[in-house]
Amino acid sequence: MQLDPVEYAILSQSVIAAAREMGVKLIRSAYSTILREARDGSAALLDAAGGTVAQAELIPMQLGSIGRVFQPCAAMFPAATLEEGDFLVINDPYSGGQHLQDVFFFHPVFFEGAVIGFAASVAHHLDIGGGSPGLNAGARDLYAEGLIIPPMKVNMARDWYGADGQGGGFQRLLRANVRVPQQTMGDFDAQIAANAIGVLRMQELARRYGVAKLRATMAGLQDYSERRMRAAISAVPDGTYHGEASLDTDGLGSGKVTVRAAVTVAGDGITVDFAGTDPQVGTNLNAPFASVISASVSCLKAALTSPDIPFNDGSLRPITVTAPPGCLLNPRHPAPVRARMLSTSRAWNAVMMAIAQAVPEKVIAQGYDTTTAFCLSWLSPVSGWSVYLEVYGGGYGAGLGNDGCDAVDNPLSNCSNTPVEAMDQDFSFFRVLDYALRPDSCGSGARRGGLGFSRSYAILVDGPLVSHYSDRFTGQASGIFGGGPGASGRCEVLRDGKVISLRSQDSFGLQRGDVVTISLGGGGGYGKPAERPAALVAHDLADGVISAARAEAWAAQG
Amino acid sequence: MRVGIEVGGTFTDLVSVDGGEVRVVKVPSTPRSPDIGAFNALGAAGIAAASVTDLVHGSTVATNAILERRGATIAFVATQGFRDILFLQRHDRRNIYDLHYAKPAPPVRRRDCFEVAERIAADGTVLTPLDEAAVARELIPALAAGGYQAVAICLLSAYASPQHEMRLMALIGAALPGLRIAASHAVAPEFREYERASTTALSAYVQPVIDGYLDRFEATLAGAGFTGHFSVMQSNGGRMPATAMRSNAISALLSGPAAGVVGAIRQAARSGRGNLVTFDMGGTSTDVALVQDGEASLAPETEVDGLPIRTPVLDIVTVGAGGGSLVWIDDGGMLRVGPRSAGAEPGPACYGRGGTQPTVTDAHVVRGTIRPDAFLGGGMALDAEAAHRAFADVAQRLGTDVRGAAAAAIRLAVANIVRAIQLVSTERGRDPRDYALLPFGGAGPLLAAEIAEEIGIREILVPPNPGVISALGLLSADYVKLRGITRRMALDADTPGLIAADCARLRTATEAEFAALGLDGALEHTLELDMRFIGQAFEIPVAVDPAELPRLTVAALAERFAAAHRRVYLHGGEAGRKVELVGLRFGVRRRLEALPEVKERAAGLRRPATAEVVTGGAAVQARLVDAALLGVGDVVAGPALVEGYSSTTWVPPGWSGARDAAGNMLLRKEG
Repeated sequence: MQLDPVEYAILSQSVIAAAREMGVKLIRSAYSTILREARDGSAALLDAAGGTVAQAELIPMQLGSIGRVFQPCAAMFPAATLEEGDFLVINDPYSGGQHLQDVFFFHPVFFEGAVIGFAASVAHHLDIGGGSPGLNAGARDLYAEGLIIPPMKVNMARDWYGADGQGGGFQRLLRANVRVPQQTMGDFDAQIAANAIGVLRMQELARRYGVAKLRATMAGLQDYSERRMRAAISAVPDGTYHGEASLDTDGLGSGKVTVRAAVTVAGDGITVDFAGTDPQVGTNLNAPFASVISASVSCLKAALTSPDIPFNDGSLRPITVTAPPGCLLNPRHPAPVRARMLSTSRAWNAVMMAIAQAVPEKVIAQGYDTTTAFCLSWLSPVSGWSVYLEVYGGGYGAGLGNDGCDAVDNPLSNCSNTPVEAMDQDFSFFRVLDYALRPDSCGSGARRGGLGFSRSYAILVDGPLVSHYSDRFTGQASGIFGGGPGASGRCEVLRDGKVISLRSQDSFGLQRGDVVTISLGGGGGYGKPAERPAALVAHDLADGVISAARAEAWAAQG
Repeated sequence: MRVGIEVGGTFTDLVSVDGGEVRVVKVPSTPRSPDIGAFNALGAAGIAAASVTDLVHGSTVATNAILERRGATIAFVATQGFRDILFLQRHDRRNIYDLHYAKPAPPVRRRDCFEVAERIAADGTVLTPLDEAAVARELIPALAAGGYQAVAICLLSAYASPQHEMRLMALIGAALPGLRIAASHAVAPEFREYERASTTALSAYVQPVIDGYLDRFEATLAGAGFTGHFSVMQSNGGRMPATAMRSNAISALLSGPAAGVVGAIRQAARSGRGNLVTFDMGGTSTDVALVQDGEASLAPETEVDGLPIRTPVLDIVTVGAGGGSLVWIDDGGMLRVGPRSAGAEPGPACYGRGGTQPTVTDAHVVRGTIRPDAFLGGGMALDAEAAHRAFADVAQRLGTDVRGAAAAAIRLAVANIVRAIQLVSTERGRDPRDYALLPFGGAGPLLAAEIAEEIGIREILVPPNPGVISALGLLSADYVKLRGITRRMALDADTPGLIAADCARLRTATEAEFAALGLDGALEHTLELDMRFIGQAFEIPVAVDPAELPRLTVAALAERFAAAHRRVYLHGGEAGRKVELVGLRFGVRRRLEALPEVKERAAGLRRPATAEVVTGGAAVQARLVDAALLGVGDVVAGPALVEGYSSTTWVPPGWSGARDAAGNMLLRKEG
């Protein structure tokens, strides 16, 4: 069907607005700090075939592949077999999902008896069971990481609410397997609410404009994003470019684990091949392939295109991603995958390093680019489990004309911090002592990298557990075009005047009086330090961003 | 005589009321010294300052000081370990695919941020006493040496107990008596330290600017013999005497849009309408608000240039769709309107100042709803040819003619405003079809009918002089003071009593403040409770009449919240979820007596009987009517253009307009 261009513009903007509203309501009605404060969730509208049409722009990692995660559900439960009240659920990374904590809900949009699309939401759940609250740093397989939900068809009335007021079977199964049901089940409610909004808005649009026009718009919007992506890719010189980036370790003492990317630009399409990437590892650093697609596309979209291109299935079409089975970026079942953000961040870095050769003015240096999941948990003898989970970034990489952003979440994520005053209200077993920028943690350069930061937690009772995963505790974010590296991160426990250094992926039992400090690293610099204007060096010195010694030696760094 | 003067970005508007006589004046703004424009307006209206008994002023001075980072040099003091909170912010990015992202710049330099040893717990108990010796030894000398105009203090948990902040103020005040101090417990006593710190820092940052501005303004007034009341508009839709602004400048931010909504509410009340969707369309943007039973709802927080400000503001959504919004086709072939604007310079192509890109105003000229001879009451000739030329390229790329392209631009501008209306209505669980549309601003009434058709609204109220409703709002604004506090507790049988005790305390304090400002007379009280299900982070405000508190049960309170939650989120209260109170806002209001009727200012323009307008793909002859000559009871059937001094109303075919007894023009769709 040929759409009038104005009607098409209006309808597309309405679909995008509906997806955005879903995202807002997902976050604002959520219960756990990870969803409501950190905003680790996303929402999208899909067409009847499962192609993503519009998304609430929250977390790039989740956004890149909602449509791909949907496909295995659709293969098992075709739209034509769905009834009103049914919805689809998945979190299994080996059936197309990401990691177990990200549970996807897909609600069909019925209009005049037919499914015209799906409302989708995903939330990172605070606890989904498994071997340890929040995150199990010691997991050696998927089963230890939490409850596995294969593609499932669930009926709202029967399986969720239940007929007898006891709750439906699926809902009760979930509730029984999570440590903090008040939060986790509340967050599922928020996902259902977000999807209900999406369904309602799609139905309103179908009623107002007719379902044929809505369908045409959904197809047109994907074509539109594809066109704009292709136009941007066409401007990049053809060729094959190579890049690599490494994790410090597999967490078991392996030494560096390296991701290698070959990015081939041919006309208006791009192929990203991760052949040559190191094999999968025994710890949770493996990345399900859906996450690798998200990372690659997010990097290329950010570097090459205008930020206002709506991200949907059309944006994925010009880009083909491959990774050999059994490698870090395409592991075999049942390898653990909880910390997939780390290896996908290196995939992001490797793709960026590759295209830096083609478009040096558009790229940025490596940032700390490490999602650090930091979890404090405590089983209170009185009130049960108390779980605190925070997601940290670090300093951003610098660009041609700008310093890297200080203390911000990494490019594949976009989590907010939890206010100290909210923690003071919600948690009695620890207290935050400081939260500060880390001077001198930036990579030097004509433009400096962003600063890292640190937070310290005083432990107020015996028995809590700190669990975290991070990276770049020994390595650093490298600079680019002559820029210097950012500082490494670290996690330390101060006990009785002695410092205990934890590994980058670790769990550690805590005592009353301990102080845990997590320090996040800085971003790499862009260009030669000697080319940095003296006024900017002086300004950073006066602000205490860099020390006198660093300022004096600035031009000689690199 | 009562006078309202609203300083906007482009124009300074004045409305005066003297007995039955109303004057309306628009003069160019003078951005470097906005007060000059204000006094120019008085001069242009021929008003002697000595004859003014009540002067209400709204300006963008505070907002611009932040936008342009031209505030005072300030210091910031935080709890030990937390001097960086203004730089750490919330750790997120506003645009997730922007590699060159920069955080909004705080109003203070890092070198000017200091710490004091102290800590208070969430329940207000002291964990670490304030280290007064260190304050005397280190902080005070540093503040003395820094040459600061003001200092902002934000200590952790000061919302729960202000004792350390108060002690610190006393110590600094004794040592450095000239230094202005803003403390977070007084500016915004609510939890979430970054937002409170940002609000406090911005308050310290704009206070000296506002003080300087008001000093100058009052001196000029006094020099001209003014002896009346001088008050200033706030972002919450109420006014306060100018002297009150000497301690609370932050409440004057974004007062312009608030004044417009207040003016719209008062004007609609004359026609007996209290449920409204208001939209104020100006040169670069449109402000939309929803009014329920004569009250616009309040948002607890806003932001300026990305910096959060925790202060009650009228809940207004702004979209980048104004008369100057550019019409363009992006690299994916999609037609777009805004958010970029041609601004005042060069302005729309039809202004003839060198603009070549088409704008919404040019689209109106092409389709005939703005007549080049009648713009601003004939005061500014427009270049119709330039408007047509500007659309040629867009038309060619859309495969249509210039008229088709202009019609497309208008439809898209309408759609942009419709989406803003949906944000304040459907997204908050309100059906816009239950409301009357009230357009104002220079460009509002030109699009009102098409917006109403798109969204299913059947009734439009066009006020007289739509272009100066903000200035009218200043004149009709009540005196309002709102106090928000954090008061977190799970709802139980004691809750209503504890709320009542808080209200009594806030009432005493606020009424004392009113008395000190000389605001006597009957006072009204309002109360909003911010509640959420236990575990959630975002509250929903529920309005409660303070007088009903003694009779209010916990169950009724919880159910009111659950109903509000269901309206917004389509679910609520499942599995016996418990509700908690997080904070409350207590308000004191002194109502003003009603304004006399405001009539349309005559433009005195000679015009033909009809003009050609393109609508629905066809050219029609629209009747031309002088808004000032449309008397009470007169009916004008569409297609028609009702032209006034500050704005034109487009009455499409199928619609008709009638001036009602209150002076508003009521547009209705026939059939």
